[in-house]
Amino acid sequence: MSERPSPLGPDEVTADSPFTLPGFFDALSEGRLLAAACADCGERLVPPRPACYACGSRSLSIEEQPRTGHVVSYTAVHTPPPAFADEAPYTVAVVELDSGARLTGRLDADYEDVAVDDPVALTVREPDEALRERSLSYETEWPLHVFEPR
Amino acid sequence: MPEPRIVSVGLSPVGRTDLTGRDLFSAALAEAFEGLPDPAEVVEALYVGNQSERYEHQIMYGTLLAEWAGLRDVPAERVEGCAAAGAMALRRAVEDVRAGRHDAVLAAGVEKMTAGGTGGATDSLSAAFDRALEQRSGITAPSQYALLACRYMHEYDVTERDLAEIAVKNHANAANNPRAQFQQAIDLDTVLGSDYVAPPLKLFDCAPVSDAGAAVLVAEESVAADLVGTDETVAVTGAASAAHNLAVAERNLTFPEGAAVAAERAFEQAGRTPGDVDVAEVHDAFTICEAMLSEAAGFAPRGRGIECARPPGERSEGWTDVHISTSGGLKARGHPIGATGLAQAVEAYEQLTGRAGDRQVEGADTAFLLNEGGVADAVTVTHVLEA
Repeated sequence: MSERPSPLGPDEVTADSPFTLPGFFDALSEGRLLAAACADCGERLVPPRPACYACGSRSLSIEEQPRTGHVVSYTAVHTPPPAFADEAPYTVAVVELDSGARLTGRLDADYEDVAVDDPVALTVREPDEALRERSLSYETEWPLHVFEPR
Repeated sequence: MPEPRIVSVGLSPVGRTDLTGRDLFSAALAEAFEGLPDPAEVVEALYVGNQSERYEHQIMYGTLLAEWAGLRDVPAERVEGCAAAGAMALRRAVEDVRAGRHDAVLAAGVEKMTAGGTGGATDSLSAAFDRALEQRSGITAPSQYALLACRYMHEYDVTERDLAEIAVKNHANAANNPRAQFQQAIDLDTVLGSDYVAPPLKLFDCAPVSDAGAAVLVAEESVAADLVGTDETVAVTGAASAAHNLAVAERNLTFPEGAAVAAERAFEQAGRTPGDVDVAEVHDAFTICEAMLSEAAGFAPRGRGIECARPPGERSEGWTDVHISTSGGLKARGHPIGATGLAQAVEAYEQLTGRAGDRQVEGADTAFLLNEGGVADAVTVTHVLEA
């Protein structure tokens, strides 16, 4: 018999909790992509957060996500923000993981080679110099999630 | 409940200007108050739509513009919702009058987007995306909407040419709009031949970077009648707002559900249906938006929103006869972020008071405004206006 998760108490909202961004990115650094799974409607939210946008429930538990999924939509960025100028054009995609969770991320593939429904895998990369320069003080060690064709 | 009416409107030139935000407001205010008493004698509160302090390094826009209008110690605040800020300011003014809090409220909007060049604008707009996953991936506004367009085109039988027709239509409309940033018609080849910004979206699928200031005076019915006479005013019968999701991946990619909720609420308040609407300004920041929002507003059946480029009477079964983006839309009239929602109200006001010149839709008596903020329906603010 599993217990229905309770709403996050104030003492639980710390940088160690995956329900906060520092906690989420710490886990990602260890190779774990975490979602909040809603006990009431089954929605998966990435990154985790205290309430479910689909049904409003605060009965959420942390769930490690599969690292495989497929492309739902994609495009290429030709007019990047100044900090990313050297990397353009680069491909970005909305990916649906095998759990049903969806998130946007870079896709390490040429735009011409990509199609909707292509299978992809998640990789976790250390931030490069350009990303570090764009990072706020508490973001400098946050890794970047990047998808690759598989 | 007091009925809020739009008494007068003002809009500065739209586009690349050498004026700052407060000056753009001065231009708009001068137009709105031409022939009226001083704002100090009329205006009891002020709301200012403004996207970002990053352009001019200026916050406190409520206080600044209250001062520039000669208003002392009135409630004045900036409202923020990216490109929905203008309509947010209007809705606040409307609700204040409805609640009997104030008899006359000014809704203003300003944006000085050209301050930092295109790179500066790209950077400032990126703050509208989710910081955790989207911004760090190097996402841009065009690429966000391209993700919607890609999926929409995948699910429905829609081509880049279909999207291009929307840009052509809006530029043709703007050729009759002396207020528009671009007043020349363009052809299909120009759109299709323009460079990709984020495929499938090309340069001419995207609204421009624009400076402008706008001002809309909202007053209670009898005050409005005293100021300009009832025939010169427009009733606001519906005003609604819905915040949906921030990250694009969390949305329904092919149908803006949050926008649909905001539209339904405004129609319900007004006691009207989409079929009643003669003219609509929807949020065509990119061509794909006008197609999707035609469906969200209830003008078009699912998957047929792309026919918004066709004139009324030449659309599929299930479409209404609404005229969309008679002003030229964000695409050709311009898209000064914080002022855009009020520029939409200016067009509706002109259509409903018979002042729309060569753009005039005969007998227009019901208008619908849909203003979005963030990407697509991150937040949507809607209004129904009636002559």
